[in-house]
Amino acid sequence: MKLRTWLLHSLLVLPSLALSADKVTVKMGDNLPDRTNGWGAVVETINAEFKAANPGVDIVTESYPDQPYQEKIKIYATAKQLPDVFKYWSFSTLLKPMVDGSFVVPLDQASFAKYGYLPGALESNVYNGKLYGIPVSADLWVVYYNKKLFKDAGIDKLPATLEEMVALAPKFKAKGIIPMTTDGKDAWPLAITFDQLVWRLSGDATLPRQALARKIKFTDPVFVKAATLLQGMVRAGMFQEDLGVSDYGASRNLFGQGKAAMYLMGSWELGLATDASFSEGFRANVDVFKFPTVASGKGKTDDLFAWYGGNYVVSAASKNAALGVKYLEFYAKRFPAIAWEKQATFPAQTVAARPNDSPVAKSLLRIAAEAKATSGTAALDLSTSAFKEDIQNAIRELSSLLVTPEEFTAKVDAAAAKAARKQ
Amino acid sequence: MPHANPTYRLQRQALKLALYLTLFLVAVMQLFPLIWVASYSLQKSGDLFGGELLRLPLPPQWDNYVRAFRDGKVLQYSLNSLFVVSVSTALSTALAFCLAYAITRLQWRLRGVALGAITLGMVLPIHTTLLPNFIWFGYFGLIDTHLALIITYTAFTLPFNTLVYMGHFANLPRAIEEAALMDGASWPRLLWSVVMPMSVPATVTVGVMTFLGNWNEFIMANTFLSTDDKRTLPFSIIRFQGQYSSDYAVQFACMVLVALPALALYFAFSNRIMEGATAGAVKG
Amino acid sequence: MKGPFESKALVACLVIPALSVMVFAMLIPLGFSIYYSLTDWSGFGVYRFIGLENYREILMDDAVFWRALWNTLLLMLVTILIQNPIAFALAAVLTHVSKRLSKVLRTIYFVPAVLSLVIIAKMWVSIFNPTYGVLNKALVAVGLQSLAVSWLSNPHTAIWAVIFIIVWQGFGWAMLFYYAGLMTVPKDLEEAARVDGAGWFATYAYIIVPYLYPVIGAVVIIDVISSMKQMELILLSTAGGPGQLTQFLGVYLYQKAFAAGEYGYGNALSVLFVAISIGLTLLARRAMPAAAT
Repeated sequence: MKLRTWLLHSLLVLPSLALSADKVTVKMGDNLPDRTNGWGAVVETINAEFKAANPGVDIVTESYPDQPYQEKIKIYATAKQLPDVFKYWSFSTLLKPMVDGSFVVPLDQASFAKYGYLPGALESNVYNGKLYGIPVSADLWVVYYNKKLFKDAGIDKLPATLEEMVALAPKFKAKGIIPMTTDGKDAWPLAITFDQLVWRLSGDATLPRQALARKIKFTDPVFVKAATLLQGMVRAGMFQEDLGVSDYGASRNLFGQGKAAMYLMGSWELGLATDASFSEGFRANVDVFKFPTVASGKGKTDDLFAWYGGNYVVSAASKNAALGVKYLEFYAKRFPAIAWEKQATFPAQTVAARPNDSPVAKSLLRIAAEAKATSGTAALDLSTSAFKEDIQNAIRELSSLLVTPEEFTAKVDAAAAKAARKQ
Repeated sequence: MPHANPTYRLQRQALKLALYLTLFLVAVMQLFPLIWVASYSLQKSGDLFGGELLRLPLPPQWDNYVRAFRDGKVLQYSLNSLFVVSVSTALSTALAFCLAYAITRLQWRLRGVALGAITLGMVLPIHTTLLPNFIWFGYFGLIDTHLALIITYTAFTLPFNTLVYMGHFANLPRAIEEAALMDGASWPRLLWSVVMPMSVPATVTVGVMTFLGNWNEFIMANTFLSTDDKRTLPFSIIRFQGQYSSDYAVQFACMVLVALPALALYFAFSNRIMEGATAGAVKG
Repeated sequence: MKGPFESKALVACLVIPALSVMVFAMLIPLGFSIYYSLTDWSGFGVYRFIGLENYREILMDDAVFWRALWNTLLLMLVTILIQNPIAFALAAVLTHVSKRLSKVLRTIYFVPAVLSLVIIAKMWVSIFNPTYGVLNKALVAVGLQSLAVSWLSNPHTAIWAVIFIIVWQGFGWAMLFYYAGLMTVPKDLEEAARVDGAGWFATYAYIIVPYLYPVIGAVVIIDVISSMKQMELILLSTAGGPGQLTQFLGVYLYQKAFAAGEYGYGNALSVLFVAISIGLTLLARRAMPAAAT
């Protein structure tokens, strides 16, 4: 009798024990508001798989476009309300303050090394000797182009040098085609291009870094020459007329709607070839080529301007830190395959080419494979936020033809000096 | 006009014509942008790059509105907006009424301080208070709550609303209130049954203007709210910045959808707004 | 009159709720703001006290601050000296047309004031777009190709394009106030002037406008305050560019505080902003003694 009562009681207790096992909610944040296409869809797939493999775990994500996202994360950090796991960037303007303020958890570099990261990827997330985030995308600086528009303008050869590319401008304009678009409002694409030109001229990718460390100055001739080349592109009418107020979406649109022949942007835009909001004609004709060399310069065509921007980090104040790290490992395992299959972005890990890859994807893989040297992060993200704002403002003035290259480099140098003083 | 001079009459006709033309042109200038957006919201995104000035949307791409409504989460966000804005408008109106009455009718020592606070409140930019409020409200667990917005919307609309009521009360003769008091009315009854009914035009003006202003507010809503389910309507458009940055037509459709409630409210109350504006602006 | 109009309990009931909300959400953050303006805080992490260093840098070293201030004053002048007279004139015309037409037109004229600033900014950016914007398409259509510039990014036209958007949006309010004011002008005044032989211009200039000084004064003060606070329309159209040519104080302090990670500096700008606003408001009140507020 007693045994039966005991069994009966335990049968009643067991279910309530199961019910009281709490569901753990992992809070995440990223800059991917679109969850049905591209990268956002990839994350949703990974999250679904993770939840299936870890019953009792729920994931809630907060997403915003880039700028608002960065601002929100900073606010959260101050208010000690960071998500458990969030997408961030490896740049010293963003990750370093997080590391300095002990907002993120250090990771075990050795245990992540087995996920096939491209050379330099993990290293770009190392501060003070420890790994703080896992890189997710490899960002290559390239030129997208529309084959049909090239044919319409009677151009049958891709430009190999900057001079050749600029010489194409009148031919496009004669047909009412914008030669090239880029995001002029946000200035960072042109700031990256500036660094790229410095490399193409000098053959040395470390010059901007040296200038930031105050070993050389931004007013040295090579920087002035690069600024002259950059402004020369604007003067030659390479870009869309309202470059200064043309934001990311607008410039991408001009290219996608077939109004511009070339688009100066990074490898994360390989999704252009599969973006359903553009015409089939466009998607079939988009491809990519390497950023041209400068005829008089020492840089070679296979010097690839590339860096590892996007990463994922775990908040140090999170109650689910261990679970967060587990998530990162899962992400590292699954992301490259899913991302490449959805052609969402160019992963920081090696991927296998597939037969039905778009021409853009194939070309990007080829460009990455053929690269003999890579640059690392551009100068604007290697210093303080204030420096980044200053150099972006200076770039906008340069591209709006409001300052001379000499005045531009003077401003950048002053900003670098100020940043160096504050550190 | 007893002028028989035909030239003079012609001049007057010409002047009249010119005036009507000007009125018409101004109307076009005020409305055209909205019409342009509405027209292209019913077309395909690529059509925007065509050569013509304005195109009749034929065939109309209603699908843009369906997508805008769905992906912009217009219904959900509208309900949130309705809640937050209604509550904060009611609160702001009531508090402004009370404060304005106290300032214009009653004698008290800190009256000047209150006036100073109102002036300060009117010039204070919202952005100055964003981060401090985020931290300060955080102490009270108000982050990601509708209450945070209700408090800030009420606070920031109080100064102007108080001024409108102050103008209104200044115009209102005390006699009726004094008579009611002598008849033995208590203060609550006086304010509710006597002063309030006499302040209906001002109240409608304050109410509608506050509602419209808060309805369109997005910077504070963006900062204080994080859970998607809690967001307010202006965020619909922001949603389309990253995701649909290539799809102008859907963006435009979303803009039209967001504008509709405000426009509807305005058209319903345009008369009253006119009346109430008199109360606040004229003769302090 | 002593007695009921001085009851302390009544005053407390009426005043404390309103003032506490304002103190909670506006004055306390302002206090925080003043505090942070004396530091070099970047927005998160550690910071140091640097006293009035931010203020010194703003007033002595920051050309952008002065440009932003100049643009703000320019906007104020355009609003007061151009938008207001036009709004007044149109309101005056509206009082002389048929009631139905007047109602229809007034409703139409006020529409921009009802729209969200996000919508207005995006709308005008599209209209001003040099490639597919309707303004340039219209100019080309009538043969004025040379005028079809890139309005918002051309250094010469950018500030005027931005000011135009702001003035366009605020036009409805000015017209509304002036119309309401004009409606209160007693008919006998106008009659008397006409009987005395005054033409319409003299009637307006010497009788009606002076009668409406309080309204005009109130509108001017509102213009001063709203010109200072303009931010969203500029941020969403030019973000202060090209260069820093269309920078405004409200935008500048926002960018410094949130984008540039110079939170202490941004707060110092805020404090100066509040001081300048109050100064200008008091100045405007002094200049227009009959003003309602």
